[in-house]
Amino acid sequence: MLFLTLREMRAHARRLAGTSLAVVLGVAFLTGTLVLGSTLRRNFDDLFAGAVAGQDVVVRSETLMEMDSPRGLIDLSLVERVEAVDGVAHAEPEVSGLGQLLGADGEPIGGMGPPQLAGSWTEDPELNPYRLAEGRAPERSGEAVVDRNTLERGDLALGDTTTLLTPEPFEVTIVGVATFGDEDGMAGVTYTGLTLEDAMAQVTGSPDGVSSIAVRAEEGVSPEELAERLDAALPDGVEAVTGEALADEQMDEIADTFLDMMLAMLTTFAGIALLVATFSIYNTFSILVAQRTRQVALLRAIGAGRGQVLRTVVIEALVVGLVAAAVGLVGGLGVAALLTALFDLAGFALPTGGMVVTASTVVAGLVVGVVTTLVAAAAPAVRATRVAPLAALRDAEVERTSPSRARAVVGGAVLAAGVGLTLAAATSEGGNVAVAGLGAVLTVVSAVVLGPVVARRAVAVLGAPVARLRGVPGGLARENAMRNPRRTAATASALMVGVAVVTLFTVFASSLEASLEDTLDRSLASDLVVNDGAWGGGGFSPGLADELATLDEVEVATGLGTGEVRIDDDVKSVSVAEPAELARVADLGVTAGSLTDVGDGRIAVAEDTASSHGWAVGDTVEVTFVDGRTEELAVAATYEVDDLTGGYLLPRSVWERHALQPTDRMVLVDVADGVDLDEAEAAVTEVADRFGGPNVEDREEFTATMTAGVDMMIGVVYALLALAVVIALMGIANTLSLAVHERVRELGLLRAVGTTRAQVRSAVRWESVVLAVFGAAGGVALGVFLGWALVETVSAATGNLGSFALPTGTLAVVLVAGALAGALASVRPARRAARLDVLTAIASP
Amino acid sequence: MTTTPTATSTDVRTRLAAQAVEATKVYGSGPTAVMALDAVTVGFEAGRFTAIMGPSGSGKSTLMHCVAGLDTVTEGRVLLGDVDLGTLSDRDLTLLRRDRVGFVFQAFNLVPTLTAEENITLPDRLAGRRTDPDRLAEVVETMGLGDRLAHRPSELSGGQQQRVAVARALVRRPDIVFADEPTGNLDSRAGAEILQLLRRAVDELGQTVVMVTHDPRAAAVADSVVFLADGRIVGRDDGPTTASILERTSSLGG
Repeated sequence: MLFLTLREMRAHARRLAGTSLAVVLGVAFLTGTLVLGSTLRRNFDDLFAGAVAGQDVVVRSETLMEMDSPRGLIDLSLVERVEAVDGVAHAEPEVSGLGQLLGADGEPIGGMGPPQLAGSWTEDPELNPYRLAEGRAPERSGEAVVDRNTLERGDLALGDTTTLLTPEPFEVTIVGVATFGDEDGMAGVTYTGLTLEDAMAQVTGSPDGVSSIAVRAEEGVSPEELAERLDAALPDGVEAVTGEALADEQMDEIADTFLDMMLAMLTTFAGIALLVATFSIYNTFSILVAQRTRQVALLRAIGAGRGQVLRTVVIEALVVGLVAAAVGLVGGLGVAALLTALFDLAGFALPTGGMVVTASTVVAGLVVGVVTTLVAAAAPAVRATRVAPLAALRDAEVERTSPSRARAVVGGAVLAAGVGLTLAAATSEGGNVAVAGLGAVLTVVSAVVLGPVVARRAVAVLGAPVARLRGVPGGLARENAMRNPRRTAATASALMVGVAVVTLFTVFASSLEASLEDTLDRSLASDLVVNDGAWGGGGFSPGLADELATLDEVEVATGLGTGEVRIDDDVKSVSVAEPAELARVADLGVTAGSLTDVGDGRIAVAEDTASSHGWAVGDTVEVTFVDGRTEELAVAATYEVDDLTGGYLLPRSVWERHALQPTDRMVLVDVADGVDLDEAEAAVTEVADRFGGPNVEDREEFTATMTAGVDMMIGVVYALLALAVVIALMGIANTLSLAVHERVRELGLLRAVGTTRAQVRSAVRWESVVLAVFGAAGGVALGVFLGWALVETVSAATGNLGSFALPTGTLAVVLVAGALAGALASVRPARRAARLDVLTAIASP
Repeated sequence: MTTTPTATSTDVRTRLAAQAVEATKVYGSGPTAVMALDAVTVGFEAGRFTAIMGPSGSGKSTLMHCVAGLDTVTEGRVLLGDVDLGTLSDRDLTLLRRDRVGFVFQAFNLVPTLTAEENITLPDRLAGRRTDPDRLAEVVETMGLGDRLAHRPSELSGGQQQRVAVARALVRRPDIVFADEPTGNLDSRAGAEILQLLRRAVDELGQTVVMVTHDPRAAAVADSVVFLADGRIVGRDDGPTTASILERTSSLGG
């Protein structure tokens, strides 16, 4: 049978190639993701290794919140103790922290993703990953070395003077240009190196504390050994780690916070694409098998066994899968490049380097491609074995197959279970995400299973206007779509799944936006908001709020910052503000106590948080700060609306005792009575520009800025889903092509009795449109239900995201787009149908 | 005359290659049930050319399908040689068709992507065996296909395609060859050629051929003709001529 299989495949190569395209795309996406992941991992690895190169051991504080907050400081005097340890060749103190360098345009350079750093310029070249390329090291106060990349981006040059925000503004003159090893910079990180004294004064604001001590080991002493010796010599709360361990740590951090999540997300979308591809392959193989019924019957008649027939289809699927996977692997490299470009476009600069293709990626791509194809072709293969030898003697019949009772019953049961579970989870108290997820999966499965059951009726309804308005071709289109409900449903299912996911995200995003708007509406009462955008840069100096408060045009100006502390040994996010002032521009829904009471030594806690910890006004909370010190703070108020401030609100006085570089993320401004809003805005902007130029917006603009972040995220999601939708549409085109091929004799007959070419094209086109609308409508319905469930579950589980917003406009667009796409998918098959030669068509077997 | 040979003949010379015993075939159920065969008992002698004739709807094709193992009877028995087809599993039936039966259909006999030679040797390859080259040469010569072996069916005329089909049916020396309207799609000259080849297969190669046809001239080539109408045997002619068949069929009505 093998030779026959191969011969058949060669004869139908084009048709199989069309089938395999779906798998190629899916595998390409998956492989691209994996390649991107390995490449990024390797590049980050190299980057971090480069950053600690030469530093055999690093001495630093043990206290740590999470990587978002800097570590505590260690005493400068420890340097002497370190140098005294046997095996230490040289030790140098280092200061490192956040610092935004303003470019020639007055705007901070960088900010989206890679950190903006400033610190002390390490003098020992062996301990400094940066190399001096031009100029000299900083010697006097106010001098700085900046990496070349940053200078280029900011349009600055050697000798220029600009401002460094730490977040207090500090004027610097650029005396040196640095490179990060051989590169112009450390992958998007902006670095400004000052003298140690300047760094200690400006960046960490501490006269005797530094961030770390870099140590070089003597010849013959291993870093591990030296680290041990140093550990023994150092006081409690200070540790020594090898440079290698440090690089590993940073690598893990990036992996946990960014890499793994991004890859998980991309892989999920690749999975969706592959799922859709499975539908497509299933459908195509079903049609191929149906078309070969007579030949299979002939073979069975002359003695081919069922197993041999099965093997034929399986081998075909295997070969298609392998070839498609191989092509997909190559395509994956292109996809990886594309994804990198996409991220670049969105502003996230990723470290670059040659692509890393690991053996596991290749294996994964091949296995996934082959398995997908085999799984999809399994049912059609089994169906092929059931062809009776007698079918060789009969004419090709019109398949008026009706879906079985069993399917309706089972599908109905699964649907009930799925919907029931989802509803229960969504409306329950705590919102059970796992149960909701299970319910969602069951619902989707049932939609696919029940497809053929509802197809006939649904298409009859959807096609009714087409039949009425488009005459005979319309009627034919509707009839053809109805005649094989299983095939109709299988074709439409692929599109349904794609559209459902798109709708799900659309609904979720619109609800997110609506909730965001509600939140801001509810809690924000100020006229203007000074902020640094939806993604947030490094924040800005609290001095801005202070200065704004002195303006005549301003009634109230109060800043809001964030930070991290430990409470009950858990790292928690806190907001920092002047609670009494904040109460004047924001409504936090105070439930007990008063915000004006939240002064030094006090804390305000959100109602939910307080009740879960069992705190009431008057109780004390133990808070540990980044510098390792602990304070007992009394709860002076509880509030309901926690969207703006989160669970905890600290007064500024408490925070500034411990924080290294206190920053504000927002300043809420109320305009003085009688002052024009535009006038006030201009005055505020003038001041803000001196502090790094954050946005000054009124409430509407601010809401728009916040929701723009959601929009961008949705844009990325759509781009990732586009592939799945394209595959689904290709499936429709494929199915139609094969259907036309199947119905050649019928089409010939139609033409013979007087149907024009245009009418034939029209019939095929409308069949495709009806199919596409069926799939899209099902997808929208499914997506809306799942989106609602997601919103309800998340809001019940997290307390955020209260409102469900149905973006009817967008959904209508989706439906129309589906119809148009269906028409587009039909262009080639329709043309082929219209071009049939009448006589040849009628005479076809 | 409506004689039916006994199902258990012990005469070696008139051994039955295949037979149906009280075979009944019903399609569908309830009020829409159709009885294609009604308790038909008939035997096909080995080494002879038997034709089955009848108007459309008479059940002639159904009878052949059942006897050939392509379809199952609702009641009664069907035997190929001594084997009761009703006792065989699908696998055994398949092997039986492969090894002991040859088929020639009216149309769509050949696999379009294979050459003539590959089509002829297909049953052997399905069995994992190589065709005996001498046998192949013999059959090819008898069918007059020597120069057409490398051609695909699309490159052969209708008559040539049927000759390939007959060659395939004969190459493994089957116990019996079933032909379902083999000349139906051919012009009279090509059709006559095929009938002559089948005749030669019986006379020179000792094969057994059972042919279903509606064409009296085709049936006249056979040694015996069995007449069916409404699912029942209604006659038999053991020395058929075109004239005698025409007379019989006209008396049977359309």
